[in-house]
Amino acid sequence: MLRYLGGRLVQAVVIVAIVATITFALIHLAPGDPFSGVMDNPNVNERVRTTLRAQYGLDRPLPEQFVRYFGLLARGDLGWSFSHDRPVTEVLATTLPNTLLLMAIALTGSFALGILIALVQVARRGSTTDHALSAISLFFFSIPDFWLAILALLAFTYWLPLFPVGGTVDAVTHDYMGLGERIVDRLRHLALPALTLTVLASPGVARYQRAALLDVLPADYIRTARLKGLTEREILRRHALRNALLPIISLLGLSFPALLTGAFFIEKIFSWPGMGLAVITAIGSRDYNLVMGGVILGSIMVTAGSLLADLLYAWADPRIRAR
Amino acid sequence: MAPLNRTRLLCAMLLCACVGTEPQSGKSLGGTLVISTGSNPDILVPALLSSVQAAQIVDLVYDRLANIGDSLNILNDAGFTPRLADGWTWGRDSLTIAFHIDPRAKWHDGAPVRSNDVRFTFQSTTDSTLGSGTAALISNIDSVTTPDSATAVFWFHARSPQQFYDATFQMPIIPEHIWKGVPPASWRGSEAARHPIGSGQYRFVRWIPGAVVELAADTANYRGSPKLSRVIWSIAPDFNTAVTRFLSGETDFFEALRLENLPEVARHPELKTKKYRGLGYIFAQFNLRDPVNHSRPHPIFGNRDLRRALTMATDRVTLVRSVYDSLAIPALGPTVRAYPTTDPNLAQIPFDLARARQLLDSLGWRDANGDGIRERNGRPLQFSLIVPNSSRPRVSVAVLLQEQLRQAGVKVDVEQLDFPVLIERERKRAFDAAIGQWNTQPSPGSIRGTWGTAGSRASSGSNYSSYENPIFDANVDSALSSFNPAARKAYFTRAYETIIQDAPAIWLAEPLPTVGYHSRLQLAPLRSDAYWAHIPDWWIPADKRIPRDNAPTSIVPAESAGKKTP
Repeated sequence: MLRYLGGRLVQAVVIVAIVATITFALIHLAPGDPFSGVMDNPNVNERVRTTLRAQYGLDRPLPEQFVRYFGLLARGDLGWSFSHDRPVTEVLATTLPNTLLLMAIALTGSFALGILIALVQVARRGSTTDHALSAISLFFFSIPDFWLAILALLAFTYWLPLFPVGGTVDAVTHDYMGLGERIVDRLRHLALPALTLTVLASPGVARYQRAALLDVLPADYIRTARLKGLTEREILRRHALRNALLPIISLLGLSFPALLTGAFFIEKIFSWPGMGLAVITAIGSRDYNLVMGGVILGSIMVTAGSLLADLLYAWADPRIRAR
Repeated sequence: MAPLNRTRLLCAMLLCACVGTEPQSGKSLGGTLVISTGSNPDILVPALLSSVQAAQIVDLVYDRLANIGDSLNILNDAGFTPRLADGWTWGRDSLTIAFHIDPRAKWHDGAPVRSNDVRFTFQSTTDSTLGSGTAALISNIDSVTTPDSATAVFWFHARSPQQFYDATFQMPIIPEHIWKGVPPASWRGSEAARHPIGSGQYRFVRWIPGAVVELAADTANYRGSPKLSRVIWSIAPDFNTAVTRFLSGETDFFEALRLENLPEVARHPELKTKKYRGLGYIFAQFNLRDPVNHSRPHPIFGNRDLRRALTMATDRVTLVRSVYDSLAIPALGPTVRAYPTTDPNLAQIPFDLARARQLLDSLGWRDANGDGIRERNGRPLQFSLIVPNSSRPRVSVAVLLQEQLRQAGVKVDVEQLDFPVLIERERKRAFDAAIGQWNTQPSPGSIRGTWGTAGSRASSGSNYSSYENPIFDANVDSALSSFNPAARKAYFTRAYETIIQDAPAIWLAEPLPTVGYHSRLQLAPLRSDAYWAHIPDWWIPADKRIPRDNAPTSIVPAESAGKKTP
């Protein structure tokens, strides 16, 4: 197991290094630099731009910048964020917990909701409920993330003002609230983006889980369970679901990139100050180091998710472990 | 005292009492202004900031020596009002101005404002290691000396009509005792930059990046307490989210409504809108040099008559009305109506499609093959028009312009670009035509860089069209060096008319920035260059305040605890 884990870790490091290299090349080859947009001012002369570029080492040849960046990276330094005027690690340390919170809730919620939908569908397979849930799932599965997010924002904050409009807390009054009010305030702000992300991710889980359940239902042990006189609900819950959960573990690993991408859009629309929002803004302002830091962290999260799924799979399925 | 006189005295006393108490009760300190904004401030250091959001905060936290008047006059000191300086004296040769610092002025940490703060501000701003864009704007200032702690003397290289403006408008004064220990090259990332200490009527409370910036009234300020006890910027990086916050009542003020927002605002009787004259203008500029070989004229736009024909073919009134409705008016030229030096009756190239077609015919551009596009020597009259994809109105302008020019037999390919890409293309002069916008300062002097020969020839110049005309340059120079307001305006008029007739661009629109605000908020006049300039005079009547107005400003928010909050 340790050997397997070691091998996967080496793979993960290689993947992250490749992703970082490609991102470094792409972002530096894109037109403009961190001082292009903000310095589009007729009163700012070339000397100022030159000074700033020199201060941040952007006047050096690209290979030198590459070596310098990866040298810093090897020491755990992600560099300086030009747009936030503070170290990238500080920016990510502030924003990453918000993204992780959103992803964790959405991951838990979408898997719970998806599995529940699949159970209902399989229990009533072929019925109107099954078809309706399939159609609804397909609808939400096909809908673009940003569009649903905008619609949810308008519907539940403006037309039907149940939730606040974006942010993690009420920025105006939160710090003046008591502890209980603060918790409620935080939950109210979390609800809509988390729900939106959950709704977006759960159809995939539902369809995957439904297919997995249908695969195991003809199995001998299910037939035996039926012959033992168990109810359909008990069969599904105690026998079919447990065996059909195995493929879902794979989906867990695959969900990380999708959820991370989805969270980026959700953060933008709901002004959720997470890593995605920071990286999207950084791309626009050519904040090289923050983009790099975000991508590296994102790739670590994705490879870690994949590794976690593999480990869970191996833990859950003795046949994999044996191999 | 006669009875009649006593009655008069009584009436006078009652009147005084009424006049004295009404504003006291109605405009008493209190209320929270929450501004919905779509961007994070970049940096809260006056010499380094580049975003409008940062300018708003800095202007309220820091004071200048004197403040420009609402008329935006920049000639000598007319219209300027005392701020940190309670008076000033011009030197006999006008090469010096001695500012006397108001002895009551204090920094928000309690230290007195002294003349050495003024000297330090100048020295640090011009320090090359700081990398401040302001340094170039105050290049006429040679030095600042401090004969005593209450007097700062500015020494100028040359007499200039706007030397007072240079010394005051460009430099909010910063405290030496806070900044002197920080090397200028490290200012951007310094703790002092995140927790600014100024002398303005609002003091800094907190800044949570991407979420909120909060200022609180400096009730002991030497200029008196502002009327609102708190000003908060609620930051939503998405425009629609920022607008929704305003419409839903989460915020009181939105600084830049778009046309599509107006019907929604109108549905809310408690919300109001207000337009003001801004300092920006939008144009479609032509590259007069060949994008491939800059030493040659552009194969299409090198010809002045062709550019005039394209301007003639553009119905600017319809275009502006279609895109902006009432939120913009046709531009006059490379200037704005808010400048006292702008003649609003500048002669224009009129819209005349028939004449435009004739002119193009006469230049040899004819539609020989009947495909609707003119050609000359086998080359179609076709060019690309680049536009930033971040600006929906400008994309709409580009599309309408494309259609209008199509009617004259010109094919325009609209290219929507990411903003940094667009800027890069413009800097490298690698474009045919571009939809641009300049937001100017109270001084019209930036026109030298944007349309003058100097801005064309310098590698970093902002005259992306590469327009060069010595008559235009001479008139601009004469205008900027003239002390006579009438002569100054006359020179500018000649310069503007020259460039309008040369048509290096189609002068399209002058936006009228439109703010939205809650009716409980009582605004003061919105200044063209900075609507926020009079925020200290805005107020909310006591009977119209809501719970968030009454948050205790004496309490330091938890997120700021432990930081260097004054």
